[in-house]
Amino acid sequence: MKNRLKELRAERQWSQGELAERLGVSRQTINSIETGKYDPSLPLAFKISLLFKQPLELIFEPGPI
Amino acid sequence: MGNSNLLGRNENQPGCAAITRPLRRSLELNAWLALTTATYVVALLLMKHHPDWSPGWKATLTLTPILPGLLYLRKGIQLLREMDELQRRIQFEAWLFAAFGTVIVNTVINVFNAQGLDVKWLEHGLEVGGTYLTMLILWSVGIVIANLRYR
Repeated sequence: MKNRLKELRAERQWSQGELAERLGVSRQTINSIETGKYDPSLPLAFKISLLFKQPLELIFEPGPI
Repeated sequence: MGNSNLLGRNENQPGCAAITRPLRRSLELNAWLALTTATYVVALLLMKHHPDWSPGWKATLTLTPILPGLLYLRKGIQLLREMDELQRRIQFEAWLFAAFGTVIVNTVINVFNAQGLDVKWLEHGLEVGGTYLTMLILWSVGIVIANLRYR
């Protein structure tokens, strides 16, 4: 699953650590999501959506079904 | 909400709770493990030096390490619940690796022994201590592999 997390974070000039702190997760989690190694759970995806004030589908793009 | 983030934490203290809390929890977990081990060793020593004690006393002594052991387990579950979802997945993968790895190692040793190719020191399989040690080693390897995967 692709996502725009890195782009959205860069727009706000937040470090991975800052974003991790705001979401209550580890920096490793943010890095893994950004690099596409890990897909977040639905609750975390909603938290991200709420934080960036953007709908889920604009942040996450599903892979081939 | 002011300066608070989504979890209601104060942003003026970034990372403060996130760094110290897991470390404190790990120390607490290790303290319970040390206490469990110490209780077990003391119980064994007492039974060795007092073979004349009644079976009731011996049974009580044998079961004594279970109490700190349960508290160790409780602390471990608490630690797991406080982890974020990726850390929990890493732990899950490491434990799965350790469990299956231990089964495979034990099976291989037993097959060797059954074929008459007695493995030195392991003629009776891994036994309890060997099983714990193998699981601990494989869990550590599993943690390293999972962390490399999600780096």
